[in-house]
Amino acid sequence: MNFETIIGIEIHCELKTHTKMFSQGPVSFGESANSCVNEIDLGMPGTLPCLNKHAVELALRACMGTHCDIDPLVKFDRKNYYYSDLPKGFQITQQFHPIGKNGYIEISTETGTKKIRLNRIHMEEDTAKQFHTNFGTLIDFNRAGTPLIEIVSEPDIRSGKEAAAYVEELRNMLYYLGVSDCRMEEGSMRCDVNISLRPEGSEIFGTKTEIKNLNSISNVQKAVDYEVERQTRLLLSGEKVEQETRRFDEATKTTVLMRKKEGNVDYKFFPEPNIFPIQLDEAWIEQIRATQPQLPSQRKEKYMQEYGLSEYDANTLTQTKELSDFYDEVVKHTKEYKLASNWCMVELMAVLNKENISFDDNPCSPVYLAEMIEMVSKGEISSKQAKVVFEEIMKGKDPKKVVEEKGMKQISDPNEILKLVTQVLDANAQAILDFKNGKGRAAGALVGQVMKLSKGQANPKLANQILNEELKKR
Amino acid sequence: MKIQEFTKDVEKNVGRCAALSEKAQKKLNAIVTFIDHSEQIEAVKKMDPSLPLYGVPIAIKDNFNTKGIRTTASSRILDNYVPIYDATVIKKLKDAGAILFAKTSMDELGMGGTNLNAYTGKVNNPYDVSRISGGSSGGSAALVAEGVVPVAMGTDTGDSIRKPAAYCGVVGFKPTYGRISRYGVIPYASSLDHVGFFTTCIEDAARMLEVCAGRDDHDMTSSYEKVEEYEKNLNSDIRGKKIAILENVMNSIEDQRIVDNFNEVILKLEKRGAIVERVSMDETLLQTLLPVYLIIANAEACANHSNLDGVRFGMREDGNDLEEIMINSRTKGFSSAVRKRFVLGSYSLFVENQEKLFRKAQKVRRVIVDEYRKILEKYDCVIASAAPTIAPHPEDSVGEKMSDTYLVAENFMILGNMSGYPSLTLPSGFVEGLPIGINVTAKAFDEQNLLNICKAIEEETGLENHTAGGSYEL
Repeated sequence: MNFETIIGIEIHCELKTHTKMFSQGPVSFGESANSCVNEIDLGMPGTLPCLNKHAVELALRACMGTHCDIDPLVKFDRKNYYYSDLPKGFQITQQFHPIGKNGYIEISTETGTKKIRLNRIHMEEDTAKQFHTNFGTLIDFNRAGTPLIEIVSEPDIRSGKEAAAYVEELRNMLYYLGVSDCRMEEGSMRCDVNISLRPEGSEIFGTKTEIKNLNSISNVQKAVDYEVERQTRLLLSGEKVEQETRRFDEATKTTVLMRKKEGNVDYKFFPEPNIFPIQLDEAWIEQIRATQPQLPSQRKEKYMQEYGLSEYDANTLTQTKELSDFYDEVVKHTKEYKLASNWCMVELMAVLNKENISFDDNPCSPVYLAEMIEMVSKGEISSKQAKVVFEEIMKGKDPKKVVEEKGMKQISDPNEILKLVTQVLDANAQAILDFKNGKGRAAGALVGQVMKLSKGQANPKLANQILNEELKKR
Repeated sequence: MKIQEFTKDVEKNVGRCAALSEKAQKKLNAIVTFIDHSEQIEAVKKMDPSLPLYGVPIAIKDNFNTKGIRTTASSRILDNYVPIYDATVIKKLKDAGAILFAKTSMDELGMGGTNLNAYTGKVNNPYDVSRISGGSSGGSAALVAEGVVPVAMGTDTGDSIRKPAAYCGVVGFKPTYGRISRYGVIPYASSLDHVGFFTTCIEDAARMLEVCAGRDDHDMTSSYEKVEEYEKNLNSDIRGKKIAILENVMNSIEDQRIVDNFNEVILKLEKRGAIVERVSMDETLLQTLLPVYLIIANAEACANHSNLDGVRFGMREDGNDLEEIMINSRTKGFSSAVRKRFVLGSYSLFVENQEKLFRKAQKVRRVIVDEYRKILEKYDCVIASAAPTIAPHPEDSVGEKMSDTYLVAENFMILGNMSGYPSLTLPSGFVEGLPIGINVTAKAFDEQNLLNICKAIEEETGLENHTAGGSYEL
């Protein structure tokens, strides 16, 4: 019997805000335990939630990027359960009125592109982090109250590859939109996958299992592939798939039982009384829409269509948001798109990689780089000189000053060059003879001499052209 | 004792109240925690003597978080809880020059109307110690009535300021929902909780409102409405004011002496030129007040107090695992009365019950408030006797008889919590040597008008600054 795989994915994504969802406590990663908390994050008696506007903005950006219908009346609800990582004894979430509904994203796999529908995007707060040790459980409340969005897909995904492509597409998008830093390995993006099988042609869903907390895209695919295999095996041998929560075990590349689902927990959801419904200002929503960063696909299209870059260049530039953002800054100041792309992709990246500098600490000013590119394109300096200038730009120096200080101005005046050419030709009768006898290389050597005579400042293209013209005359 | 009777000699003020409080504590049992005032006195002495509460000792209900000062909400589970922060209104009092005098007894977590359910035991009525003070803000009411302090803070979820004010013969004022920040006040039911205070006169109530009111960014339900100069603007000329007597309440009071007292006051108001009319509300609707209130309040309360689990603060009982620790701590930490309310609240939130209990109660609340609002659209205020009896003995106070008197006259002040309208109780006379009171309620944020009408009543009753503890004067 052949089975169809049905997959739905829930993604929790930490929003890139400075403070928490409902408190002024700082959002942090890697700070010492319990150092980024206040009385609200600790669920002290008498505290009240105060909604973070920036978090709402980022949630809206996520909704816009995924074509969700936006509910401009923001409401929150309480989800009640007791656990040591939940300081208030309830989580503030959006059970009844998610901020975004009925969206979709497009994924591409080897079999082409496909729409995956999103059921909802809602805002909520994160729990504290627990560390289970031999001497007890330790709780770090730094994460408690961190803003989250939960993105719930419809069960439109049919394979491990599609699942991986879905997560990757979302990760890229949210990252480009500045919604989240999407670091799966650090837990700022967490992925739960629901999988069930059904006989091909069947309309009824089979029993599903949930694989919790997948921490990389490749593990999403591996976990799904294994789970499909496991469920197929069970079904073919006449056994039942149990509804349960599983985790992916890296070492064995299998999924392992965490707990069986024993009926549905009643979380007693009810509207949060401390946050009145908030009507979002239509103008504010539109302002967010107007300042929505471009997604990788949109950027690629712009690079190829408007800037005439190759697909390879467009892909390379959009590999990271930082490089693409930097390139966009550079081309605000020069129309030499191709040159700019080369300098960003090759020279800049080489230095950053070699020196292990992140884009946050990138010393290169995009304006300076653009100025230098302009000089090259106008023939004011040679490409060779540009490399020297670039080194200085990386030290924060103004390219105009560098050129001036180093006396680098390229000689592009034909009369000047003609003088140099004449001088060289007059002194090299033998080389001229060789050239006339068919030794093409002799011309190259002569150009080299012209360059040498000009102390490297002659425009090489012009020098080459004039020298060849003069040779023919002799 | 009035605020204005206090000198600018901070030490003398505090010394006087401290001496009174020692005697009063033996009589009333109103104080949970005495506070060491030395640091506060030093701090206040450096402040501007013209501050509105300069050197004025104020008693604080034990559900206001006071930084570094034990705050128990009269519950065993918080017996060792010392807050790390001040409630917003506590900060405002300090900034106005007040001295936090003592933390006062209350019904556990605000749940109750008798003050019999306090971890430190019954609070006695200053006029007859065998009778109750009323609750839940009983300790605060009793201390002001006894003349120990001129002002005490309270909270009011059903009538928890206004009922004890009636029983103890003081002014008890609950301004509009959102007028005073709730941040840092241990809640009972968030959508019904109000912060307010007890004073011995309307003038002090006006001054207190000016100090306490105002928008607080820590409380999203707090209002941006402008804070007025209530004390300066106080004006007892009520000519042409339209006053509505809530007939249902007066008709259901069995004690004719209380009705007669009320009618006397009304006659005097008419003589002053007020237009008094009798209005009635749908009786069935009024009879639903208590059940609707209990469903909403208990549902919110059971979530609000989920943070009291013995894990991060409060009294912890041992157990073999987290769940056992929580169960044991909560079982021992709360009285059975409170646990009963949690069970009821939880029950009304279960998925299978929520629609027919909690959601229905919310809908009925809206219907009730709608009808109440229609009355206030036509009148400046609604007026009735604040309680159908004098302060009862403990054994007469606990029965929940489903009579008209009980359902309507005993509980109608819940209207002020459901609507959020400002509502004030002030003394109107004595029956058997025990005080009785009148309750006045006005439109949202119409506090000035409400205070003006109450000022007129106070002038007629002559009970301004009347206290029980005359024999304690030093």
